[in-house]
Amino acid sequence: MPGLPESLLAELYEKYAAAVYARCRYLLRDDAEAKDALQDVFVKVLEAIPTFRAQASPSTWILRIATHHCLNLLRSGRAKWRDEAVQTAKVRKPSFEPPDKRELVRALLSSAPEEAQEVAVLYFVDELSQAEIGVALGRSLPTVRKRLREFLACSRGALRAALPELSLPEGDEP
Amino acid sequence: MTVPAEGCSSMRVRRFFAGELEADERAQLEAHLEACGRCQRTVQELQGEREALAREVPFAAFAAGVAEKLAARRQRPRFAPWTSGLAAAAAILVVAGAFVLRPSSRDMGLRSKGGAPAQIFVNDASGTRALSAGEPIAQDAKLRLSLHPGGRKYAAAVLLEPSESSVLYDGPAVDGPLPQAFEWTGAAREARVLVVLSDEQVDAEKLHAASDAPRDADVSELVLRR
Repeated sequence: MPGLPESLLAELYEKYAAAVYARCRYLLRDDAEAKDALQDVFVKVLEAIPTFRAQASPSTWILRIATHHCLNLLRSGRAKWRDEAVQTAKVRKPSFEPPDKRELVRALLSSAPEEAQEVAVLYFVDELSQAEIGVALGRSLPTVRKRLREFLACSRGALRAALPELSLPEGDEP
Repeated sequence: MTVPAEGCSSMRVRRFFAGELEADERAQLEAHLEACGRCQRTVQELQGEREALAREVPFAAFAAGVAEKLAARRQRPRFAPWTSGLAAAAAILVVAGAFVLRPSSRDMGLRSKGGAPAQIFVNDASGTRALSAGEPIAQDAKLRLSLHPGGRKYAAAVLLEPSESSVLYDGPAVDGPLPQAFEWTGAAREARVLVVLSDEQVDAEKLHAASDAPRDADVSELVLRR
């Protein structure tokens, strides 16, 4: 690659870097790691641009790369991540207050299989519809639903143990 | 666990601000935003994200980091990137001192007002300091290149050994230490770091000697010795 295409990088920074940095901080919980991951993500984005489909949403595509990168980093330190998940679920303010939805999702990610983790982030954090997730991942709607059910099933046990007073829906439909 | 209400989607709000929505989607979301407190909070969150990025990772640092990582992903058998902790990085940043062992003739003319266009800091068992002329470098020492581009837009740095060259950096000409340190792991007794500062983009892969640099570029070489 002859030098770095600075105008392209400037546009990527202007439009997408804030979202990617926020995603890295949200998942990694470490500012230094998040800064490093931010750069790694855009290296991957620059290398993957030839594979980007013109009809896809750049925001969704880039945040998927960020999410995938961070989840891989977290998986590489899985034991620590699990310990943190339990603590995050247990630590609350003295007066009962439901934990922030996104924090809870993050804490529960480690209990779910790989693809279910990504689907959970797209659904609960990015708030894509199941159909939109199917398009983003190249998966059928039934597969997306199956992955969401997997995430909820894996989460339920951990939630019951950590938050016995939280009312959980009995069904596993998201 | 609350499921988003129909019409609420943080991703849709992101896409709105990234200019990715079609006209009808955009109009729908604008109407929705006026009435939806939840999505208004999302807008505020996005603004907070932008402020955090500008504050903590300004574009120059971002671009330099990406450029360096891109260069690092190319094969570099003679040195290894080294990511320091923040404390070590800060220690390196505060060290002063400079040397240019063998600046090119045109470099000296162009840079007579600005001083050394590049310098190397070393971090080893005895601490962190600017590398002195002729000072031997330990095998496990961490090295960090610092640039003083003097208004030049682009920089490239290449580690030159007798039979090989490896790209250290290729990107915007940042003023100050490059974000990523490296170790010189080559077996040779001596190597040179060729630094090219230019107003045009430089293809670092094609830099194997000072003579490969663009004609109007600032060129300097720094010598590494075991």
